[in-house]
Amino acid sequence: MPLTLTQRCCHLLAPLIPFTVVFIHLSDDDGVRQVFEEMRGLYDQNVAAANDSTADPDGTAISSIAIRHAALERNKRCLMAYVFNRSKKLRNMRWQFGSILPPEIKANLCEPEIQWFNSYSKCLARYMKSIGGQGLNLAQDVKPPKSLYVEVRSLIDYGKFELDNGEVVLLKKHSTHLMSRAQCEPLIIQGVLEQINH
Amino acid sequence: MYIDNIVEGFYNVVHDSRVLLFVNYDIDAICSARILQYLFRCDTISYTLVPISGIQELRLAYEENCEEVKYVVLVNCGGTIDIVELLEPNEDVVFFLIDSHRPTDLCNVFSSSQVRIIGKPEAEENIPEFDDVFREDSEDEEDKSDNSGGESDPEENRAAKRMRLSEEAILKRREHRLWTEKRDRFVFNYTQFSYFGKASAVRMFELALNLSKDNVDLLWCAIIGVTEQYLLGKIEKQQYILDTGVLQGHVSKLSHNVDEETAEAVATPVTAPRISFIKDLQLALYRHWTVEASLRHSMYSACKLKLWSLKGERKLHELLVDMGLPLAQSRQKFCAMDMVLRKEFHSMIEKLAEKYNLDQLVFTSFILQHGFRNKFCASDVVYSMLALLESTSRDRSSKDCFLEAMDALSRSKKNLLEDGIEKAKLMLTSIFKMVQGALDMQMVVSGGPFLYFVIQEGALNARHFSHPHTLILLAQFLLQAHVMVKKKSLNLPLIASAPLNVEDGTCLVVGIPPVIEDSPRNFFGKAFEQAAEKTNARAQLDYFDSSIMKLKTEDRSKFFDALAALLS
Repeated sequence: MPLTLTQRCCHLLAPLIPFTVVFIHLSDDDGVRQVFEEMRGLYDQNVAAANDSTADPDGTAISSIAIRHAALERNKRCLMAYVFNRSKKLRNMRWQFGSILPPEIKANLCEPEIQWFNSYSKCLARYMKSIGGQGLNLAQDVKPPKSLYVEVRSLIDYGKFELDNGEVVLLKKHSTHLMSRAQCEPLIIQGVLEQINH
Repeated sequence: MYIDNIVEGFYNVVHDSRVLLFVNYDIDAICSARILQYLFRCDTISYTLVPISGIQELRLAYEENCEEVKYVVLVNCGGTIDIVELLEPNEDVVFFLIDSHRPTDLCNVFSSSQVRIIGKPEAEENIPEFDDVFREDSEDEEDKSDNSGGESDPEENRAAKRMRLSEEAILKRREHRLWTEKRDRFVFNYTQFSYFGKASAVRMFELALNLSKDNVDLLWCAIIGVTEQYLLGKIEKQQYILDTGVLQGHVSKLSHNVDEETAEAVATPVTAPRISFIKDLQLALYRHWTVEASLRHSMYSACKLKLWSLKGERKLHELLVDMGLPLAQSRQKFCAMDMVLRKEFHSMIEKLAEKYNLDQLVFTSFILQHGFRNKFCASDVVYSMLALLESTSRDRSSKDCFLEAMDALSRSKKNLLEDGIEKAKLMLTSIFKMVQGALDMQMVVSGGPFLYFVIQEGALNARHFSHPHTLILLAQFLLQAHVMVKKKSLNLPLIASAPLNVEDGTCLVVGIPPVIEDSPRNFFGKAFEQAAEKTNARAQLDYFDSSIMKLKTEDRSKFFDALAALLS
């Protein structure tokens, strides 16, 4: 069944509806292209009708031009919404994953989106560098932590670990430490340390 | 050096630098460490905590971790040994000792600043005076002065001078000998007995109190520390009553605060943690077990009723009948018993206590309530933590157990505690079975001045007893039971031994003082040391509690013989 007017662009937007989900669908280049084609067709028909208008005494052509124009406008809005929502998701991902995207997400992006993402990261990095004297990583603690220090337990014999202030801590299995959150976060992600909850 | 002011002398000193914490494997130490952890967390004092089981391990762990550490805190370890000699630390490293083991080593006591002991020396410790133990002029110096005197002599009158000198030297030597004898006597009197002082957890709670950071959780830790000392027979009952009296004051103070706050707020949080002071029974885990099993497996009731024999069994049933507790009910979980029976249980057993010679069944304790369902008695928590601490297996190292026991103290990890309670039931059951077996087979042997009991390799559940605390519990149970059967052995101490590591051929040996003594002063530490020296037995006196040691199984009989000769 052929799709009716402007229906195609609704299909384009459908996968973007659950806005909160941290996943971006494959960019629907084909869908976008089809919408463009539809728009071009509508535009051509409008131009032809407008040029012919002198030959149309009863004014039916005017109303069909108005309908086609409304359809064109709607398609435009839908396309804008499509681009805007995808870029919004991308921006959230920059805060979540950092400047390097996981490959499974990158595969779903089209070329302009990747370009946009890179320039956004560059922009952000430049801004973060400019804060204070030596810069501040804004993406690190999006929610303020309850305390700057956390209690952690070593899960493996990691060996010596140098702290920011030059002190050396031996991370041996079964030892418990109170360390600054910023320093042990990467180790927790690596699975060297485990945070203790009370 | 003793530190009276614990805040100024200890807490404010370590405030700005990283602290190394060494914690011994016992419940009191774990509780103290938790209080310290809380305080350090509040003030963001970064620390490293390492569990330590013995003297050698302490040395190793110190070598590994000593880099750039200025302050080392030792919890329930190291007080009885010369720390500076053992660890050979840099000059600027300071050790803080929080140790309930006594007697404290004299080098630690008289250390000028490197070793600082938290607390005050108690009068009954009888620490000798400095001048009685140490003297400026040691023998070497005297010899040197003698020699130099001899060399600088002119040639004439040599003989006369030598005479005079030698006379002087003889006098000096005599004096020195007398002094040495006196010193040895002092030192011997001081170190003869090993015993336990105030629980470290209570000391740490006092620190929290002085810092105005006391709360219900910390108080609970202190209570658990004291209860462990009592249940393992580390302190006298008198001391326990005094300690609980003080703790009760803190309990009522803290609960009073809560009341006031809640009066202001509209909603009263029924679920807030709350400690109450209660009269408890010396029945292990009865709230989580069946009444019958608890009566049977608790040391006090089992020994008084002689539950290992058929006669005892009848007596137990008689007691249950007197209480009006149907057998079917007594074999149900306590919490599933009839409401009426459950409510009356306490008063019923108290009423009958005198008839069955169980007059000391009731003791004072504490109970912690939080939420609607969680109600834990201090003694239950101690048993549970003990069982967790000593439940090593092939894929659970002792350090895993240590951390688990530590976690069991936190309120959010209730399942760990309940797991521990199940393990404690197993532990108590196997202790009881071992005692029953030992009495039936008459395996408690008199070695002259002491009794001894050896668990052979391959005995049922032998591996349960390869942990010091369980073995001590067993020894105490066994000695009490043995004395009930043979009244003669009232004044004999007991040594128990269990296989530790079959491959290495080592065994664990613990000694406990006789039943007749009120005070749990233990002379086995010194005796073990001397006997091992005499026989050249391959023994490792590695534990901080000197009445526990490791020994090569082959050397055991030789060692016991030497011990018998030494003590008779």
